[in-house]
Amino acid sequence: MQNSTQPGGLSPAPFTNPTVPRLAPRAYGGFNWIGFGTLYAKEVRRFIAVGTQTILAPMVTTLLFLAVFVLALGHSVDQVGGQPYVLFLVPGLIMMAMTQNAFANTSSSLMIAKVQGNIVDLLMPPLSPLEQTVGVAAGGLTRGLAVGLATGLAMWIFVPITIAHPLFALFHAVMASLMLALIGMVAGIWADKFDHMAAVTNFVITPLSFLSGTFYSTERLSPAWKAVAHVNPFFYMIDGFRYGFIGHADSSLSAGIVILCICNIALLVLVHRCFARGYKLKA
Amino acid sequence: MKAFPPSTARQAGAPSLQPRRFGAVNWIGLGALIGRQIRGGLADYHYQVLGPVVSCLLDLTIFQLAISTMRGDAGGGLLAFIAPGLIIYAACEKAYEASAATLILDKHERVIFDQLMAPVTAFERSLAYCIGPAVCGLAVGVAVAVMSLIFAPLRLHDPLALVFFALAGTVMHGLIGTLVGVWAQKWDQYAAILTFMLLPLSFLSGVFYRIADLPELAQDVIRFNPIFYVIDGFRHAFTGEGTDIGLAVLVVAAVDLVLFLWVYLWFRTGYRLKP
Repeated sequence: MQNSTQPGGLSPAPFTNPTVPRLAPRAYGGFNWIGFGTLYAKEVRRFIAVGTQTILAPMVTTLLFLAVFVLALGHSVDQVGGQPYVLFLVPGLIMMAMTQNAFANTSSSLMIAKVQGNIVDLLMPPLSPLEQTVGVAAGGLTRGLAVGLATGLAMWIFVPITIAHPLFALFHAVMASLMLALIGMVAGIWADKFDHMAAVTNFVITPLSFLSGTFYSTERLSPAWKAVAHVNPFFYMIDGFRYGFIGHADSSLSAGIVILCICNIALLVLVHRCFARGYKLKA
Repeated sequence: MKAFPPSTARQAGAPSLQPRRFGAVNWIGLGALIGRQIRGGLADYHYQVLGPVVSCLLDLTIFQLAISTMRGDAGGGLLAFIAPGLIIYAACEKAYEASAATLILDKHERVIFDQLMAPVTAFERSLAYCIGPAVCGLAVGVAVAVMSLIFAPLRLHDPLALVFFALAGTVMHGLIGTLVGVWAQKWDQYAAILTFMLLPLSFLSGVFYRIADLPELAQDVIRFNPIFYVIDGFRHAFTGEGTDIGLAVLVVAAVDLVLFLWVYLWFRTGYRLKP
């Protein structure tokens, strides 16, 4: 009460009262964990809310692919890379589902936010570009892994899948999902319309994932197609992931790991720069 | 001074303000509806036509590479078998999309009333929702067919069957799309029908393999799937093989007729369209 006599409007004195919390800005350490966690939770809830479309649909489509390829080619093809064709096919199909969904998650998240105008909710909170990048990318990574797990379990009902090197498979699953999540962010930031996004999906992502040795071994391809496969980063994801399952790889594993790491770091830096500069995001 | 006496309308040169007379069919209205669907379905041809073409080419490339690496032969026989299935599948998917997506979009944007209020009968609207999607589907089918000639040596065996099954298949999917478009409230439902119903029904019914390779039970189940007859009949037009063609014509025509009547009934009663 004695403070209210002080001239000059509001007095700072109530803030010194120990029962009233200080209204100072919240201090973060080096990383805003609360903000990052919120962003990540939002990205995950976003796809879980429509789980039929985001997890069940890719699972069914992938099972269809498996059935179709096994039925169409299975009886004329015995073994690929020392394995029955179906065991060769399974890891590639799981990887394809993971990558396509990791891409779809981040790209659609940013795209819809831009079109609907609620991208400001991502840009205005006290999140650094790094936290924004990692938060959205982790959402896509989670979607990829969730789809991969669901697809793998569904296939396991029909096909006796064995995993030769689980950690190796997990590493490639994470690296591949992360990479496609980051590519999806680049596409989402760049695209102005849904048409642009459909074009990227149809003309870039799907061809790269289809022509990557998912359905056939690259060892016996003609030199031209082999060269196409080996400059495609998707090939190394699938090859490494498949090695984790069947213990057989078409190309050098260490080269694949290095290429995946380089791609991911480069993409992280690129997306970080986009958020830092506000490229196509801030007016 | 009397404003606008009735006689002024009959002055020389002034159009008569009588209601327009239609014959049995309002051809102008029908044409406008069909034209609108075709424009909606094919306007953004970059991805609406090129998209299916690219994905079909990818499928053929993969099959060719898979066969050539693992079997050692060029795989011409299998590709000639698969290509017709992919062509008719692409055409049918487009027909479904053309009618279902237009209707859902119209409902969301509340421009569906423009159709309901226009002087077109339920029959004319049903007819428009047959023809419009079929034209879109056939356009995509032709584009895919031309491109797939790169891979597969397609030879025409029975032109009449080609025309019949291409038309009947796209009409069937256009009508299914219309039913889905009338029924669906959300895009999720549109996508769910496509992913969980039409895609499995087509892919598991012989787009990619002969059903004769399947177990007996599976073959019997597939024979209850009308889409199987569309694919089988369409392939027969190219390869000359396939099951009983007369039965296929009968089943597909009957299903088309039933779907048309269903759509007509819904349009007539205004199910989910009129309050």
